[in-house]
Amino acid sequence: MLIRWKLVIFIAVLALGVTASRNRETSAAASPQATPTVAKPPALAKTAKDAAPAGISIPETTLAINSDKPMSQRVVHYEIDAKYDAGKHTIDATEVLSYHNLTGQALDHFPFHLYQNAFQPKSTWVREAKIEGSRDTAYEKWEEKQYGSEEIKRIEVVGLGDLTAQLQYIAPDDGNKDDKTVVDLHLIKPIAPGAYVQFKIAFQTKFPETQARSGWKRDFVLGGQWFPKVGVWWNGAWNCHQYHATTEFFADFGVYDVKLTLPRNEIVGASGVLVEAKNNPDNTQTVTYHGDDIHDFAWTASPRYKVRESQYQAQMGPIQLRFLMQPAHWSQAERHEKITRETLDRFEKWYGPYPYKTLTVVDPEPDSAAGGMEYPTFITADTDWFMPEGVHLPELVVEHEFGHQYWYGMVATNEFEDAWMDEGINSYTEVKVLDSILGKNTSILNIAGITLGEREAQRLSYLSAADLDPIAQKAYGYYSFRSYGGVTYGKTASVLLTLEDIIGEDAMARAMHTYFMKYRFTHPTREDFLKTIEEVSGKDLRWYFDQAVYGSQVMDYEVLDINSFPVNWYEEKKDKKAAKKAAEGDTVYQSYVSVHRKGDFVMPVEVEIKFDNGETVREHWDAKNRWTRFSYQKKAKVVSAELDPDHTVQIDRNNFNNSYIVEPKKKPVHKVANFWLFLTQCLCQALGWWAV
Amino acid sequence: MSENKSLLGSGWGRVLHNKRYIVWFYVLNVFLGLFGTAAFVNQARPILEHSLQSERLLHGFSLGVLIEMFSRPEFGPTIASRAPAMFLALLFLVATALFLPGIFQGYASTYRLPREDFFRACGRNLWRFIRLMIVAGIVMGVIAGILFGVQVALVKKAEESTNELLSVYVELASLTVIFLVMTVLRIWFDLAEVDIVLSDQRAVRKSIGASLRHTFRSLGHLLAAYVVATLVAAIVLLAGLWSWMKLVAPENVVGAFFVGQVTLLLLLIPRFWQRGVAVSYWKETMMIPGVAVRPLESRPVTMAEVSDGAPVFPAPPEPTPGS
Repeated sequence: MLIRWKLVIFIAVLALGVTASRNRETSAAASPQATPTVAKPPALAKTAKDAAPAGISIPETTLAINSDKPMSQRVVHYEIDAKYDAGKHTIDATEVLSYHNLTGQALDHFPFHLYQNAFQPKSTWVREAKIEGSRDTAYEKWEEKQYGSEEIKRIEVVGLGDLTAQLQYIAPDDGNKDDKTVVDLHLIKPIAPGAYVQFKIAFQTKFPETQARSGWKRDFVLGGQWFPKVGVWWNGAWNCHQYHATTEFFADFGVYDVKLTLPRNEIVGASGVLVEAKNNPDNTQTVTYHGDDIHDFAWTASPRYKVRESQYQAQMGPIQLRFLMQPAHWSQAERHEKITRETLDRFEKWYGPYPYKTLTVVDPEPDSAAGGMEYPTFITADTDWFMPEGVHLPELVVEHEFGHQYWYGMVATNEFEDAWMDEGINSYTEVKVLDSILGKNTSILNIAGITLGEREAQRLSYLSAADLDPIAQKAYGYYSFRSYGGVTYGKTASVLLTLEDIIGEDAMARAMHTYFMKYRFTHPTREDFLKTIEEVSGKDLRWYFDQAVYGSQVMDYEVLDINSFPVNWYEEKKDKKAAKKAAEGDTVYQSYVSVHRKGDFVMPVEVEIKFDNGETVREHWDAKNRWTRFSYQKKAKVVSAELDPDHTVQIDRNNFNNSYIVEPKKKPVHKVANFWLFLTQCLCQALGWWAV
Repeated sequence: MSENKSLLGSGWGRVLHNKRYIVWFYVLNVFLGLFGTAAFVNQARPILEHSLQSERLLHGFSLGVLIEMFSRPEFGPTIASRAPAMFLALLFLVATALFLPGIFQGYASTYRLPREDFFRACGRNLWRFIRLMIVAGIVMGVIAGILFGVQVALVKKAEESTNELLSVYVELASLTVIFLVMTVLRIWFDLAEVDIVLSDQRAVRKSIGASLRHTFRSLGHLLAAYVVATLVAAIVLLAGLWSWMKLVAPENVVGAFFVGQVTLLLLLIPRFWQRGVAVSYWKETMMIPGVAVRPLESRPVTMAEVSDGAPVFPAPPEPTPGS
């Protein structure tokens, strides 16, 4: 915790004043013990038409969505009855998983994710995190009580009996025999195409002290990836990767009915809608949640949440917004709600409707490292006790995680293999949305005249690892955590922003809308996305995608040199009249402007040349050759040249050499030097104050 | 309170009567600061001077552009611009230590101290000050180390609490305590410095001992005076930064330079004020009075009478031969 930084912010906040609570007509601040609105229990599940003979089916309920029919092809139905021990941070649960075999072929084995086993010293996750870095624990100080685990105690397949003995840990990605994040169940009898199968699982999960934004901290818990989860049959094979330090998740759509029993004093939030809440005689409570057309289920509990609830009228119907705030952050609840509403508004207008009936925004325990995570209809924010209005961290995180409701939640891409399709596309839409809400150059920081915009931040993130990895590759294949972040988030956002320059902002907006509407509630591939852009724009963009998405080429254009001299320079040398003529502006100058492609990324670009008579010329350079030279004969000298004068290319590695001014401008140097001078003098005085 | 006022007032009076010292130190501060900035300018100039991108730094303050500038390979390692700044800050410290004895001598004088006396005081006390600085460095370093260690442990413990603000309060409270303790140490060694100079004390340990006793004897008054001066410094800094942000247009480099330099000049005053307070305290309380000399008894003066050309004083006897 950086106290100096906090003090600076504290002082700044005193100056800015505490924001008064406003716009609460639609909001209600509930007491900590208040229970959230309980939805009506679901009607008896309608069974699928091709229900299995044994009566197993996937419900067609629509309780949790603003639609009268299912929106996804439902493959799974999880019914979980879990009891949480807050002292031990463990879950003891039973899970009934109904699976509809829509693969078109018989399935004789089923892989399951056991994500919480990643938080063991010998797991692939921890090994990678130690080498590549991670956002979590310093593992050298990691103790056993902080580990996590997930164990299937018993698994029974209806009609096939107890198959616990058939379970076998596998490591399909790296062969690490100590990694237990994937377990495979071999069936004695294959499941026919179109048939249903039901697994009855008893399992125990021990949460780690927060890792990968799941687990406990003090008396807080965030239950993410906490139950055995079946893999996805995708592209003709099971897709069930081990849990890696840089990967997230992939799962089929379905229905979730989850019953959680936990201490009565806990305030709970979860994916889906609350259908029942009851207190038990043993000082516990049981809450039951139902989710439709989602592919994961997360929950949180803490005795200290303060709850703010309101309603948002979305395109498909009302959405119950629920904010679970830390007591020390209660004054920021309104800020969280405001950005949620504004983000919802932009996403619905630009990309498509949000169909779910709920959205829960969780402000997690301080220092829990559980902030900034997305689950269906459930996101975690990130803030601090003191957050000046000009520092838009809460807005940034809430917007980003909400964006994942679209790019991950509904357009459910494979986060193991194409992390850029959720994080990167989401970072791109984050730039668009935050630009629109908070300003293009001020969407992250706008305090004391110091500004930082989201698109700049994404570009800087890209620059930190510009030439290490291509975008299109498995999330666990990146050189490092930095490269994963820089490329997956920053490069993808920058590449898509640059694409706007090629196909136009409108075409890009239409492409994004089309992509969402076409692929929501499915698992699109990278080509699905890229082809959608080509189709909507009507342009062949392979040359761009091959370099920007599939390649690791780096763009760096520069203005190499500028020369202007009198055409009749030889006369001017000996003739005083010619010199006078020059002074009167009658001299004709021969001017050259040379531009250079330093990197290996080839992309046409505009060049703007300005002359000292105010004239401006725009040139188009295809950049196929390494350099080109533009020449002019005018009664004016060139004063400046600039590549990409509209500043639409976000992937150029160096923006400073994109332009050249003939006459040096000293003011910017003096300005930054003045800051440096002030700091140096302050340092001198501070030493003089204390040391002598 | 009245004693505080008199200490602060007396110290302030010494500062006012010797304004030139502040001006000298300010000039030295600017001079070293400019040297410390030269490397930074040399690194930034090739990137910014001919680029239109640098306009974004001029008409606002884009953090993104600044970060990109620092990350350019041609800017070079940031240590190349940080190291000269650090080095020259150390040089300022050395210069302060060198000239401080003269300043104390000047503050203690009731007249304008001649230049030669100023530099004589500086030269005579240089080695004593170096020894004192070493002792002060060790004492302050050890105590600061212990205090910050305790602070970190306390904050860590407080962070285990479910009350998020507890650790913040603990941190603020512990930093306040650390500030007060370090200020007490500063008072102690300021008094020792004054004592060394004004008592012409060669045995530094004696000044350290005497100053320690006096620091605790008058802790309340001295600490209050020092804290007031520190608060004034904090207000000056905040007011300066506020003026810079609110009153100066982003592209007004000259205005920004002026506001920054005025702030820095004013920031020097509170520390000199503290030193003036130390000198006043020393003169009022610590100064050992000279040996009391009983006034000579006055005797009536017998005027010699002159009469008849007789000598006033008898002539010395003639030397006798052989004697």
